[in-house]
Amino acid sequence: MKWKIGGKPLTSRIFLGTGRFPSPLVQNQAIEASGAEVLTFAIRRVHLDAPHDDAILQHLEGDHFIYLPNTSGASNAEEAIRIARLARASGLSDWIKVEIHADQKTLLPDPVETLKATEALVKEGFVVLPYTSDDPALARKLEEAGAAAVMPGGSPIGTGLGLLNPYNLGLIAEELRVPVVVDAGIGSAADAVQAMELGADGVLINTAIARAKDPAAMAQAMKLAVEAGRLSRMAGRIPKKKYATASSPLGLGV
Amino acid sequence: MQLKINGETREVAARTLSELIHQFGLNERLVVAEVDGEIIDRSEWEEARLTEGMCIELVQFVGGG
Repeated sequence: MKWKIGGKPLTSRIFLGTGRFPSPLVQNQAIEASGAEVLTFAIRRVHLDAPHDDAILQHLEGDHFIYLPNTSGASNAEEAIRIARLARASGLSDWIKVEIHADQKTLLPDPVETLKATEALVKEGFVVLPYTSDDPALARKLEEAGAAAVMPGGSPIGTGLGLLNPYNLGLIAEELRVPVVVDAGIGSAADAVQAMELGADGVLINTAIARAKDPAAMAQAMKLAVEAGRLSRMAGRIPKKKYATASSPLGLGV
Repeated sequence: MQLKINGETREVAARTLSELIHQFGLNERLVVAEVDGEIIDRSEWEEARLTEGMCIELVQFVGGG
């Protein structure tokens, strides 16, 4: 079933990050196995003495992707807005993932600057998807500011610690009308299932796939996990109970 | 002429932004240019004259989450 961000219909519920893959070949295999339609990127200075080293787009196969550049490297709203404008000037996309790190050790998002940047970029006509902490009040404010989707982190970027606060993530998914994409911290397929069972509309995964022993296999696992988690959510799980309820008739009966 | 490009001082022969992009062998469809803090649209690169001391940023999409 299709869903939409910024009016754009999507089928896949995995956003795939393009950092840290062992090679462009493996990355392309993982992209295909994941079924991802939305790919994230960073914006960086061209390395003038070896300009093609990092030029990732030259390796991408197919032109049907939605590009989601991020503002990583920004430590405040002003820097994020500048990076967003540079990204849009590429002519490739008007989507932007606001990503403003409060400190380099945890890379946790700065809530105040993230909200400021979101407000400003929405006014400039961007489709804004802020990466944010798992705070439900902040998530609501980002929605009110016009975010096209809100992307709370499960745990710090690249840690693979999974979803540290499922209660908050579940609340955010329940309360927001715009799509909620759990971003960062997913370590394995189980975490992706959990995010979807909590009611997320999608997940953004990079390191868990890029640094897996077999990235293409993990990409496929994540694809299946997201589908399983979503189905499980829609199917409606049973309530948890303390004691047993027999699933076979009790007593010998013969 | 000397320009500051991506934070480094460089001696270049290019007279326009377009020539500069080509001098470095960059794929112009994948690069975004900012001159003295202002983004210059690709369609204006041929007319964008460079002058001594300009501060130029050339950026592109790279892998990232």
